[in-house]
Amino acid sequence: MTGLIRDVARRRELLLILVGRNLKIRYKNSVLGFFWTLLSPLFLIAVYAVFARVLRFYRAGDTLFMPRLVTGIIVWQFVAMCLNDSLRAVLGNADLVKKSAFPRIVLPLATLTANLVNFALSGVVLVAYLQIARMPVQGLAWLPLVLATHVALCLGAGLIVACANVFFRDTEHIVGIALLAWFFLTPIIYTFDYVPAGFRDLAFINPLTGIVTAYRWMLMSDVAADARLIAASFIMAWTVLAAGAAVFQKLQMRFAEEL
Amino acid sequence: MTDAPAIELKDVSKRFRVRQGGAPTLKSAALSWLKGRGRKDFWALRDVAFSVRSGETLGIIGSNGAGKSTLLSLVAGTMAPTRGAIAARGTIASLLELGTGFHPDLTGRENVFLYGAVIGLTRRRMRERMEAIIDFAGIREFIDEPVKHYSSGMYVRLGFAVAVEVDPDILLVDEVLAVGDVSFQRRCLAKMDEFRRRGKTMLVVSHDLHTIRRMSDRILLLDGGSVRGLGDPGEVVGRYRAAKGLQAAEGMRREWGTGELRITGVRFMTSDGREASSVPWGEAVLARIAYRAERPIAEPVFGFGIADMEGRVLFASNTQMAGFDIPRVEGEGRVTVRIDGLALAAGSYLFSVSAHSADHTTSYHRLDNAFVLSVESDMRADGCCWFPCRWQMGG
Repeated sequence: MTGLIRDVARRRELLLILVGRNLKIRYKNSVLGFFWTLLSPLFLIAVYAVFARVLRFYRAGDTLFMPRLVTGIIVWQFVAMCLNDSLRAVLGNADLVKKSAFPRIVLPLATLTANLVNFALSGVVLVAYLQIARMPVQGLAWLPLVLATHVALCLGAGLIVACANVFFRDTEHIVGIALLAWFFLTPIIYTFDYVPAGFRDLAFINPLTGIVTAYRWMLMSDVAADARLIAASFIMAWTVLAAGAAVFQKLQMRFAEEL
Repeated sequence: MTDAPAIELKDVSKRFRVRQGGAPTLKSAALSWLKGRGRKDFWALRDVAFSVRSGETLGIIGSNGAGKSTLLSLVAGTMAPTRGAIAARGTIASLLELGTGFHPDLTGRENVFLYGAVIGLTRRRMRERMEAIIDFAGIREFIDEPVKHYSSGMYVRLGFAVAVEVDPDILLVDEVLAVGDVSFQRRCLAKMDEFRRRGKTMLVVSHDLHTIRRMSDRILLLDGGSVRGLGDPGEVVGRYRAAKGLQAAEGMRREWGTGELRITGVRFMTSDGREASSVPWGEAVLARIAYRAERPIAEPVFGFGIADMEGRVLFASNTQMAGFDIPRVEGEGRVTVRIDGLALAAGSYLFSVSAHSADHTTSYHRLDNAFVLSVESDMRADGCCWFPCRWQMGG
């Protein structure tokens, strides 16, 4: 782990250039680029809002439904985009990996950082929306920890996915299905108190449950879950990062021969 | 030059797990696990040990699959050896598959910065080198265009320019000379010569034996993942040529005849009596043909022929044509032909020997394309021959 951190510190110029490249390619050199990436979460929000309304999933006058949905989708979008991009993080740079001996960790890290920039921009839009909807904020001192945990989860899962796709090229199909399941297992279009009481504690094994709940508690003063449950979720997120880093560290020397 | 080796390999072995067919998938992995059929091991390199002095150019030759590219990957550090240790000192740039790694959507300039960062140079250093890179690649008006609009020639030129102008300590070169037009190849060679003069370390893989021999200080011969030779370029290239020739000759070899008079062997000697399968251009070579006659044979004719590796006869002669009469042979004996200088271009040649009756009605024994003789030469020319020639103005 310390080895990985030292590698990254030494090669931060490479990391910056790769982040710049990823952003540039995603936004195709246009200021409008970012708004295109917002289109997909906006579409998701619209679809779920309409369906929830049609299916009478929430009462008319429930002012918390939309802010919860928007927060959940934006938080989710960062995870989903990271995982989707991580599939190609190593595989898509096969030529670089085969040619030169730089620490491979910068590749998934660059993918993560580029998505973090995107998430930060989405976050601004999210906060602006919540303020317009007159949602009170609280406990913002926790924001760095929540954000760090969110990033840790994205990086950890991204490292595993990036590795797996090098060794098994059908990983992307599995990731597609896993993301769909994860989406519905996480309180994104619902809140954790919709989970049947018997399963509620279990739901917090999912690291994203705690993260989404914490964001909602901070940004819109939503109901808080038991702090111990949130802590359990956060520990899971950091465990994913530790596992991802260990797997990546162990397998990175074999990348060049598998590509 | 310092005393510490720039590159050192200690008993390096590399094993690959060879998969059966197709891209690796979880599905196929699960299937082969269920069937209890694992991957096959393949040793690309076995116990390779050598060191390269700082400032030295080491050429690496060998047939396809000998492990040359694996060796470069190990030195570049993109792969780890299965056993053994590798140490390389300094920044390493590789000229492997020029221009790969360029991102099509980025401009030439952006790709140059990316490449520099990949091999570990700072942005500032790259900015300093940028002008030289643009000049060498000769693509000034396109440097801020996305490289997807480049022609393949521009791609390769930029790839080469970046790799050499970043001024690495160690340059790895794999078959670069197979790309680009003639004038670009000439500039590449000149650049590599300059590199060499400036005391940089180079590892060069090539099938172009003439070029590699000229530019290397020493040559490493790999065969089936093991070192078969390491040393003087002329000697190692000669040995490789002879070995390759023997392999090629296998398919060309023809043998027939009545067998009354058998050719039991041919040995090539230099004029001072050393046995040699490879001779320098212009030096005399003796072919000593051993025979055994089952019964007394009157007036036999011995002949020899020299053909290129495709089997085209370049020269053939026999004792009858030369007016050298042999009244009779019986039992074992030898007949030797001395060739005063093979006027052939550098390369390997197939040697044929025959014994037949004076009236050409009976072939006692013919061994076509059965032996290989190599000619070493630094002199460059087209064609299979080399005639001494000299130019002058006017005249």
